Amino acid sequence: MTGPLFDIAVTVARIAVFFAFCFGLVVVMTWVERKGAAYIQDRRGPNRADIFGIRAWGLFHPLADALKFLFKEDFIPDNAHRLFYQMAPMFSLAPAILGIAIIPFGPDVTVMGRTIALQIADLNVGILYLFAVSGMTVYGVVLAGWASGSKYPLLGGLRSSAQMLSYEVSMGLSLIGIFMVFESVRMSQIVAGQGGLLFGVLPKWGVFVQPLGFILFLVAQYAEANRTPFDLPEGESELVAGYHTEYASFKFSMFMMAEYLHMVVGAAVVATLFFGGWQFPYLGDAGFLFPGGFAVAVPPALVLLLRIGSFVAKVLFFAWLYVWVRWTIPRFRYDQVMRLGWKVMLPLSLLNIFATGLILLLLNR
Amino acid sequence: MTIGVIKVARPREMSFPESLYLLEIVKGLGVTMGHLLSNIVRQEGIKTIEYPEVRRPMPPRFRGKHRLMKRENGAPRCVACYCCSTACPAKCITIVAGESPDPAVEKYPVRFDIDMLRCVFCGMCVEACPCDAIRMDTGWFTPPDDTREKLIFTIDTLLEK
Amino acid sequence: MPTLTLNGMTVDVPPGTSILDAAKQVGVEIPHYCYHPKLSVAGNCRMCLVEIEKFPKLQTACSTVVNDGMVVRTDTEKVRKAVTGVLELMLIHHPIDCPICDQAGECGLQDYYMKFGLHKSRYALEDKVHKKKVQDIGGQVVLDAERCILCSRCVRFLAEVTGTRELDFFNRGDHSEISIFPGKPLDNNYTGNLADICPVGALTSKDFRFRCRVWLLKAFDSICTGCSKGCNVDAHFKGDILYRLKPRWNDAVNQAWMCDFGRLTYKEMNEARLLTPFVREEGARKVAAWGSLLPDVAFRLKATADKSGADRVAVIASPQSSNEELYLLRRLATELLGTKNLAFTHRVAGDGFADDFLIQADKNPNSRGAQLLGIPDGAVFDALVSKISAGGIDALLVFGNVLGALSEEETAALLANVPFVAQVGTNEGPVSKAATAVLPSASVAERGGTFTSHVGRVQRFRFGFPARGKAKNPVEILVSLGNRLGAGWSFAGEASVFRALAESEAPFAGMSYDSIGMLGQEIKT
Repeated sequence: MTGPLFDIAVTVARIAVFFAFCFGLVVVMTWVERKGAAYIQDRRGPNRADIFGIRAWGLFHPLADALKFLFKEDFIPDNAHRLFYQMAPMFSLAPAILGIAIIPFGPDVTVMGRTIALQIADLNVGILYLFAVSGMTVYGVVLAGWASGSKYPLLGGLRSSAQMLSYEVSMGLSLIGIFMVFESVRMSQIVAGQGGLLFGVLPKWGVFVQPLGFILFLVAQYAEANRTPFDLPEGESELVAGYHTEYASFKFSMFMMAEYLHMVVGAAVVATLFFGGWQFPYLGDAGFLFPGGFAVAVPPALVLLLRIGSFVAKVLFFAWLYVWVRWTIPRFRYDQVMRLGWKVMLPLSLLNIFATGLILLLLNR
Repeated sequence: MTIGVIKVARPREMSFPESLYLLEIVKGLGVTMGHLLSNIVRQEGIKTIEYPEVRRPMPPRFRGKHRLMKRENGAPRCVACYCCSTACPAKCITIVAGESPDPAVEKYPVRFDIDMLRCVFCGMCVEACPCDAIRMDTGWFTPPDDTREKLIFTIDTLLEK
Repeated sequence: MPTLTLNGMTVDVPPGTSILDAAKQVGVEIPHYCYHPKLSVAGNCRMCLVEIEKFPKLQTACSTVVNDGMVVRTDTEKVRKAVTGVLELMLIHHPIDCPICDQAGECGLQDYYMKFGLHKSRYALEDKVHKKKVQDIGGQVVLDAERCILCSRCVRFLAEVTGTRELDFFNRGDHSEISIFPGKPLDNNYTGNLADICPVGALTSKDFRFRCRVWLLKAFDSICTGCSKGCNVDAHFKGDILYRLKPRWNDAVNQAWMCDFGRLTYKEMNEARLLTPFVREEGARKVAAWGSLLPDVAFRLKATADKSGADRVAVIASPQSSNEELYLLRRLATELLGTKNLAFTHRVAGDGFADDFLIQADKNPNSRGAQLLGIPDGAVFDALVSKISAGGIDALLVFGNVLGALSEEETAALLANVPFVAQVGTNEGPVSKAATAVLPSASVAERGGTFTSHVGRVQRFRFGFPARGKAKNPVEILVSLGNRLGAGWSFAGEASVFRALAESEAPFAGMSYDSIGMLGQEIKT
C-alpha cells in the first residue's frame, strides 16, 4: 500500500474503531446504569426484554429502547421553534462525539514499518480543544430549553447554562497544575510523562502529583456532564424533565446518547490526565520493572495488549464511577451548586495552581 | 391552650473532616457498593416480586375481582334476586332476570354485568347474596384492559373464574 | 256510639265496626292476612289475635265487633307470643324462596316476620311439605301453592266480586292447598286483582314476573286510560319505564280493583313511542327540530285558513287527551283558526266489550270531557270524514294515534286527500304513518292533567317522570302553536289551563285541582 492511501485507511480505521468503542460503551452504560441502580437499591432491574427467550440479564433492553425511540412518533410541539427545536439535540450530541478525537487509546504501534498513533488527532493544543468543544454542549441545552416554547425546559436550560459556565472555570483552572507538572497540553505527552516513577515507588500519575487538582477536575466534570449530584437542569421533582421535557422519540434519545457519551469521554479524559492513560504501572517497553530492581521480561505484543487493556479498564472504572456516584449522592440544591462552584472550587483551584507553582519552583531550583 | 410543641433535635455542627465531604462520600460509596455486591451474590435476597410469573400471596380475606358460583350442573347459582345490585353503593351491577330452563330453579340471570370500572370493591354484594352465588375470593385485582367495554364483566366472564 | 279502649286509648266508632278497623282509626296496626276491607270476613289466618278484657281466650280482631266499654290490648306478652306462634305455624312449610319470589319487598310474611316473628326455624328443611310451584292457572296470575298461607282472600274474591268461583281449597292439614278445578282455568276479566290481594307470593302477576324487584320501583297516582270508567291506579316505574299498574282505592269508582285489560295499558307508554318530531318528505321520514317544526305547522294552518278559507282547515281531537288539552284545542280551532271543522270520535277498533262492573264499552278515558267541552262526536265526525275524503280539507291537525275505528289502510287513504296533516301523538300508529308532520307527545305517565269519566267524574292523573326522547307535553305544544297563531296565551303547565277552563266552562265551574284532590270530583249536572 502506498503512503497517502495507507494514511487515509489508518485514519478512517482509527475513527471507526474508537467511535465504535465509545458508542458501544454508551449502549452498555445505559444498561449498567439501570442494572447498577437496581442492585444498589435492592431491586432486580431490567430483565424482561428477550430474544428467542434469552434474557441475558436484561442486556437486550438498550436494543429495545433504541427500537422504541426509532419508531415513536417524531413530534414537534405547537409552541416550539421548529428549526432550533430540531437543531438542539444535534448541538448536544456533536460536541460529545468530538471529544473522542484527542484521546490516546494506546501507545504508538508499528505496523508494516510505519508508526501509528492510537489516537485520532494528536493536536498540539490538546486539552484546550477539549475545553473548546465541551464548552459548546451548553448551547444544545440552552437551545433545547428555549426552543421548546415551554416553561420547564426554559428554566432547565437557564439553570444548566449558569451551572456549566460556573464549573467551566474551575475545570480549566484545575488542570493548570497538570500542565505545569508535565509541561505540555498535548495529550500524548501528558500520558508519556506519567510513565515514570515518583519517589521511585509510585507511578508518576496525575492523581499522585496533583491530588487536589484531580478532585476538583472530577467534580467539575460531573457538573459539566449534568450528572448527579449536579443534574439540576433535569431536576424531575421541580422541572418535570428539565430542558428535554418536550422531546420524545429519536430527538430525546440523542440527548440521552449525549449524556452517556459525556460520561465515556469524561472517563477517558480523567484516565488519561490523572491515571496514566494507557500506562500500566511498572510496565516498561521491555517488561515489568518493579521498585527494588525486580524485573520481568514481557513480549512486546503482550505489552501493547496490557497497555490498551489498562486504558480500557480505567475508562470502564470511571464510567462506572459516574453511575456509582449517581445512586449514592442526592442532588444538590441550586444555591449549593453555585456556592460550591464559585466559593469553594474556584479558590481551591487557584490555590492549587499557586501551590504547584511553588513546589515546582522549589524542586527545580 | 397551646398545642404541644415538640422539640426537634437540630443536626449537630459538622466537624472539619465531615465538612470536606470527601471521606463521607467515600463512606456512602462503600454503602452502595455493599448493597450492589451483596445483591449480585445473593439474588434471592432481593425483595422484588417478578409480577406475572410470581404473585404476591394475598391475605385470605382480600376482596378481589368477582366470580359467580356454579351449580353442580354448571348453571349459575345466581337466581337474579337483585340483592347485590340493590346493595351496591356504586350501582355497578346490572341484572336482567328470566325464566330458567330448569324448572326447579325458576329464575336465573339472563344478563349479569359488573362494571369493574365503577366497582369500589366494598364486598356488599357478597354480603347481600342469599345464595352464596357471588364471591370476591379470586385473590386478585381486576386486570387492566384497553377498552371500557372489556372491563364490563358479563356473566360468562364471571362464571369462568 | 260504642266506645272502645285500645291499649289505654279510647275511641268512639260506629256500631258494627270491627276491632281491627277501630284500631286502624287510632293508628294501631293489628297484623292480618285474611282480612280484606272489600271482602267478607273469614277469620282464618289468626294473625289479628288481641286480648279482650273478660274474654277467657284471645279473639280475632277482624271478626269481633266493638261493643260499648270493650277494653282491648294488642301490646301484651300474651298477644305477642300468640302472633309469633301463628306466624311460625304459617312459615313451617313456606319454601322461603324470597330471592326468586316477585312478592319479595311487598310480602306480608316478610313484613310481619321482621315485626312480630324474628324466630329461629324449628322445623327441619327436609321435612317441609312440597307443593306444586309455577302453575299457570289462566288469567294474569301464576300460582305457587307452596308459598300459600291459605288465607282464602282469592277464594272469597272469586266468589264475592266476580262470582266465578274458579279457586278453592283442596286436601287437608299440611297438604291443603288452593287450586283450580281440573281443566277449568281462571275465566274472568279481573284475575290481575288476585295477585294484588294475595298477601304472600302464592299468586303473582304473569306479566310482571321477574321484570323488576318491587323495591326499585317508584309510584305515582294516575288514571287508567283503558276505558271511560276512569279507574284510579298507582303506576309503578323505574327510570323512564313503566312496569305495572295497580288499582288505587277509590270507593266511588273502582273500589280496590281493576280489569285485566286496563292493567296492560301501561305497555303502550313503553313501546313504539314517537320520540322525535319528524316530517315526511317524498314518503321518507326526516327528523325535524321542535324549533322549526312548530312555526312551520302554525304557518301552514294559518296560511291555509287565510288563503283557502277557514272551512278548508280541520281539527280532529282525541278522547285520549286531557280536559286541559281539549279545551286549548277547541279554542285553537274555533278562536284562532276560526274553523267549524272540529270533531272527535270515541269509536275504537274492536268489539267494545263491556260488563256491569268496571269495563265500559267506550275505550277512551275522556270522551265525556270532550263532549262537555263542546267538541262534537258521532255524526259530525262522520261528516268531517266524508268532507276529507271528498278533498274538501287542505290542512288537518290530528290529535291521537288512531282515527277512530279506521284501519291503517283506511287512515292512509283518507289522509292522502289532505295536503298537510300535522299529528300530535304518543305512539307509532296509522296516523303517524300517514301524517306530513309528527309532533311527539308525552304519554299519560309523562304529563299531568284531568280526565272526565263516563259518569262525569273529573279525576287527576299526575306527572310521573320526564318525557322520553324529545316528546313534549301537549299543553306546551298547544300553547306554542296557539301563540304562533296570535293567541297571546300565558299558560304555564296544565294547572293554569285548568283554572281558565274552570272559569269559562260551565260543567267545570268551581272546580280546582285542590277540590278534585286524590279521588276526583263529579261535575254539576
